Amino acid sequence: MASHLFGWLAVAFYVAAEAAAILALVARRGRLAWVTPALIAVGLALHFRDLLVRARALGSVPYRTLGGSVSLFGWMLGIAFLVLLMRHRERAIGPFLIPFIVLTTGAAMLLPDAVSAPSQGTQGALFAFHVTLAILAYAAFTFSFVLSLLYLIQDRQLRRRTTGILFARLPALEVIGRMNRTSVTIGLTTLAASLAIGLVRAEMLWSSLADPKVAWALITVVVYGFLLWMERRGWEGPRVAVLSIVGFGVVMFSYTVVNVYFSQAHRFR
Amino acid sequence: MTTAGEARLLLLGWNFRTAALSVRERVAFSSDEVREALDRIRGEGLVSEGVIVSTCNRSEIYGVSDGSETNAHLTRLISEWRGLDPREAEAGSFYREGGDAARHLFRVAAGLDSLALGESEVLGQVRTALRLAREAGATRAVLHRMFETAVSAGKRVRTETEIARHPLSVPSIGFELATKVFGDMAERTVLVLGAGETGTLFAEQAAGAGVRDVRVANRHRERAEALAARIRATVVPWEDLPRALPEADVVVGTTSSPEPVVSRADVEAAMRERRGRPVFFLDLAMPRDFEAGVGELYNVYAYGLDDLREVADENRRRRGREVPRAEAILEEELTRFLSWYGNLAVVPTLNDLQARLAGLRDAELARLPEEERERFRAFADAISAKLLHEPLRRLKSETDASRKLDRVEAVRHLFDLDS
Repeated sequence: MASHLFGWLAVAFYVAAEAAAILALVARRGRLAWVTPALIAVGLALHFRDLLVRARALGSVPYRTLGGSVSLFGWMLGIAFLVLLMRHRERAIGPFLIPFIVLTTGAAMLLPDAVSAPSQGTQGALFAFHVTLAILAYAAFTFSFVLSLLYLIQDRQLRRRTTGILFARLPALEVIGRMNRTSVTIGLTTLAASLAIGLVRAEMLWSSLADPKVAWALITVVVYGFLLWMERRGWEGPRVAVLSIVGFGVVMFSYTVVNVYFSQAHRFR
Repeated sequence: MTTAGEARLLLLGWNFRTAALSVRERVAFSSDEVREALDRIRGEGLVSEGVIVSTCNRSEIYGVSDGSETNAHLTRLISEWRGLDPREAEAGSFYREGGDAARHLFRVAAGLDSLALGESEVLGQVRTALRLAREAGATRAVLHRMFETAVSAGKRVRTETEIARHPLSVPSIGFELATKVFGDMAERTVLVLGAGETGTLFAEQAAGAGVRDVRVANRHRERAEALAARIRATVVPWEDLPRALPEADVVVGTTSSPEPVVSRADVEAAMRERRGRPVFFLDLAMPRDFEAGVGELYNVYAYGLDDLREVADENRRRRGREVPRAEAILEEELTRFLSWYGNLAVVPTLNDLQARLAGLRDAELARLPEEERERFRAFADAISAKLLHEPLRRLKSETDASRKLDRVEAVRHLFDLDS
């Protein structure tokens, strides 16, 4: 097993970013606003080094080991976080999202790196894009899920007139909703692209698309697509949050149960 | 604490804690009267510097004085001028000296001494007091520095603690809750029902917070128009209320109508037209302006007076919990000011100056051969003593305390004694 020095360094930077985010929020030090994204960015660079080491050992994007794929997922969470931060300039959300980056990346450094023999069709640039995009989509949907939970919590606090510390610190409902929309848009776009690439490759390799995973991916696209379409028509509020959570349920089901029990082409080998 | 020569910082004040309103209104000064008061107390030679902080809750005279019983003289002068019984004036007054006077000012500037803990208005009033005194030529080094430090300490307390964070007034709490739903309020539409006192307060608050689209509806159109003209709002005719409702993101009820002016059915209809987009109802009216049950509708957030008062109580407690942190910041700033003030003292300055010259002398002597040093040392000492004799005599014999401090500061600056 590799030492993952860079990976652990990345985890350390993510932890520092979380600390800075909490500090900026609690102490309300506006001057610290740039510290969190900077620490995340350094963490991502180190993390990328670790992914490169894994990739060299495997000769491909590191998705074929459990550790590698989880690590890639953590990296994508970091990317998605930076995108959200730059797009919405809302730092209050950092303390709630960064722990997911920390936990995922930390777990990836501990999970086994056992390499299985490459099976048919898991080589090449197209395949790498297919997997990488899918993982980015999962990362975006994960944040959509967390944001939706925060939305419901904030909604509940508003209705119950509990104006505690969490209430004061969380962003406005409208902002959380907007960030959720960005997350879903990223997720849906990348999932659709990944799905398209996957379909093209499956057609080329097996001249068959009959994989349950495809069906579940389509369901995912339909759920989130419906959500975005309704939002365009002015749908706002807790219902959007609930539907996002449902969508994430579908994602999780397709990532775990479908992968393990139903799909031939998407089983972890 | 060290004081500069014989000059003392002092404070004579009357505030809402110590003096009855009848006394306070006599010692409350307008801007012109502040100038006059400063002229009088300096003209009588009671203080060499003076600043007067006068607000509706307090009148405080800060001064630098080297006389004795200055407080008694000041009290007599003020009561004679303002037609007050001197005993009454004295009974309602409080007196502080030295560091305690400075500490009091710092607490005032931070809002710790205010009726509404942490309120920000007083900071501006302290700033104004300094400006008036400066314009009247009544401040020099000490009070100027003390007030500037107090203002920056007050700002620090407000940014680094939560003491000014949680709003206490009902309209501002309502507005803050609305921002928790909508975030940036600038592009939102706020509809105020009623143009009375509360309606005006809320409309002003919204306009002041940057809401561009404020609308006012009032049963009597003229009052709505008067308010709208003042804050650049638009007037919604009372009959058009049902049509105006769906366009509003925040609806505030402040009418004196005995019946609710917006029914649940009105809101249901408005929500259909809004396609369920969130709306915020704030009922500041007594009796209520919005029918009960409005808040149960999807994406409708409704708050009444009782809810807001609960939040106000909670916010008051929250501000109270910040007092120790605020005091720690003030002590830090106070220490900084007092050490500067102590440094102004003449004696330490003389010692510093002599030490500086001795250092220069020794450095030069070190370059000479051993056997010549003694002779040159005597020579150098003689020159230093002659050179310093007259300036030091003048510095010591200066009777105006503030001028003395100014000069001591000039010496410290010119000879670079603080580096």
